[in-house]
Amino acid sequence: MPQTSKHSFSIGGIHPAPHKESSADPTLLPLPITATIMLSQHIGAPAVPCVCVGEHVERGQEIAHNASFISAGLHAPISGTVVSIGDIPHFNGKPARAMVIKASEDDHTADTMGREQYWSTLRLRRPDRDLSESVDAGDIRRLIAGAGIVGLGGATFPSHVKLTVSKAPEVLIINGCECEPYLMCDDALMQTFAEQVVEGTELMMKSASIPRTVIAIEDNKPAAAAAISAAIDNRHAITLEVLRTCYPQGGEKQLVEAVTGRRIPSGALPASVGAIVHNVATAFAVWQAVADGIPLIERIVTVSGDIPAGQRRDYIAAIGTPLSEFPFSLPEHAKVIVGGPMMGHAAVRLDAPVTKGTSGLTLLEGKARGPVQPCMRCGACLEACPMGLEPYLLASYGRLRRWDDAAANYVADCIECGSCSYSCPSCRPLLDYIRLAKQRSKKTRL
Amino acid sequence: MKLTLSPPPHIHTRRTVRSTMAHVLVALIPAVVCALYFFRLPALKVLLVSVAACVAIEYSVNRWMLKRPNSIGDLSAVVTGVLLALNLPSSLPWWMAVAGSVMAIGVAKMAFGGLGCNIFNPALTGRVFLLISFPAAMATWPLPGEAGADGATGATILTLVKTAGADPHAFAQSDLALGNMPGSMGEVSAVALLLGFAYLLVTKVIRADIPFAVIAGLIIVDFLAGYPAEVDILSGGLLLGAIFMATDYSTSPMTRMGMLVYGLAIGAITACIRRWGAYPEGMSFAILLMNGATPLINRYFKPERFSIHQATPQ
Repeated sequence: MPQTSKHSFSIGGIHPAPHKESSADPTLLPLPITATIMLSQHIGAPAVPCVCVGEHVERGQEIAHNASFISAGLHAPISGTVVSIGDIPHFNGKPARAMVIKASEDDHTADTMGREQYWSTLRLRRPDRDLSESVDAGDIRRLIAGAGIVGLGGATFPSHVKLTVSKAPEVLIINGCECEPYLMCDDALMQTFAEQVVEGTELMMKSASIPRTVIAIEDNKPAAAAAISAAIDNRHAITLEVLRTCYPQGGEKQLVEAVTGRRIPSGALPASVGAIVHNVATAFAVWQAVADGIPLIERIVTVSGDIPAGQRRDYIAAIGTPLSEFPFSLPEHAKVIVGGPMMGHAAVRLDAPVTKGTSGLTLLEGKARGPVQPCMRCGACLEACPMGLEPYLLASYGRLRRWDDAAANYVADCIECGSCSYSCPSCRPLLDYIRLAKQRSKKTRL
Repeated sequence: MKLTLSPPPHIHTRRTVRSTMAHVLVALIPAVVCALYFFRLPALKVLLVSVAACVAIEYSVNRWMLKRPNSIGDLSAVVTGVLLALNLPSSLPWWMAVAGSVMAIGVAKMAFGGLGCNIFNPALTGRVFLLISFPAAMATWPLPGEAGADGATGATILTLVKTAGADPHAFAQSDLALGNMPGSMGEVSAVALLLGFAYLLVTKVIRADIPFAVIAGLIIVDFLAGYPAEVDILSGGLLLGAIFMATDYSTSPMTRMGMLVYGLAIGAITACIRRWGAYPEGMSFAILLMNGATPLINRYFKPERFSIHQATPQ
């Protein structure tokens, strides 16, 4: 058993019920006949299509270029014909540019066979340990950019941008915390493909000449920690750190503090304290891109929540698969959350597709909010806030439209983790008002 | 297909206002049991009158004056009623208990806007109102047991020390701890109050900071004044106030540093009033004074921010 450090971040945090009981081994979700690929599924400029309507594309072929440095390319998750490029309602109901690819029966059969073979051999294959020595740093970064890899923990920031640094960071932190309740996709990945994750980590270290890596896992995932520990083997530059479980440990600022003890200044990036953070799934995608030349066209998606135990599973799903293709029976008065229940967003349409940032679907039953009661000034929100803010105060400023006062009380520091709203006994919509104040105070400053 | 839509977060703690208040009521059970054991039927009468009056007044103010939704379901009025009763002598006439309830809920709570908006602790405001209006009735302390229920009265330890010049070292420690002495209904038994304190800590309704700071403040002044601190802690309303009144959410500071300052000041002021003031007991005044200072404390003692430093502009 890997030794536990039991570190955590120092301020605030909450302990929601984990509900982490989906399957460890991810199942292949059948490829869709029609795939919808959002052109903007990352932070930065939307990708620019490089294929025309009517053109036939192969699975894995690039279908959209990155429009600028901070952007990411897109690849066809299925072989087929491009049927349209235009506005399509996203899961939140807002229209967004997307490309639709439709597979013929032959395309579908061929893709399915190739895919099943790839994943079944991947489970048995031991990755080549000398891989990171045989490729050079620039090539790794080019391969990462070419594979359209973005941060898979949810932020979807293009990974090659993070790894293009003027000064090499002191430490790479691989984020395997997965602190959101219900989500199990990173846990499943670490248990099933630990060797690949560690090998991908080495590739990332090489690409930005980072001397040291810490893979951070919360102590509620002992199986994943054991698998990663075994996979690290005798690599001296990589260590495993098992952290004391606390939400929001997967947040970049909290994680950097838990691992290094350094606090990122207000408004700064982890690089300011010599750290760089990538998700475990990103490390895996990097390995796939470099070792097998496979772009980011599939990811692991957790389906969990108030559904029968047999339906709570992790799936390997193609980007572009409609959410409705996951096998689940919707609970009554269902809320379908894309992502985890703390920071995920509720969906209004299930014909919207899986994107690179879709870590899971959390299906909750009748989770309308409780009636809002007056604030009794219990201070639960202050104790929960991991940024050391005063949520009750910021929310009041937001409600009273006093944006400047909110800014003066550091509303910009808020990471929108939702710990305040979660812990409020009066069910006050603290985060809603704080997000409003955060947006509006940003606008008034510009 | 209809899907529920709302912004995140989508899950919520089980704690509600009602469950919080229910926890406080559970924590008060030992003190109430002791009050009923020591002061018998008259205590039950004061308790019932005070709770009923507090709930009725909150209901009436919401219904006919503020025209707001009924809020008695959150149990906060019940808590105020119980706390007020525990702060009264069991021999108090019923109509005085009603008058105290009107002051507590009607004036100190609802006139300021209801739950969470009050500046001063409602139950203590009610008690101090009675203390100033009816000093004789509020300083008549039935003896514990049958004799007291039949009308025999005595003086509290603090009164004996203050007015009769009694030696504070002379009182039996076991009587002090168990509550076998004259006093307000709920203040006499330290053991019962500490049981409630433990319950509140385990259920995380309150943090230990304020009660410990109050006791620390009292010990410091007692040490300087050469008075036995253990007798001072166990006599009068100190523990009842430190555990149940000073920790009232809306009238106490939000941050840990603020809580320490607030608690230390309450303890110190209480000891000062007891040693050198006109009243034998000073806990209520000390808490109300510091209630008034709470907004100021909240302003000066902010939580520790995660990002202490500002990013250097590029």
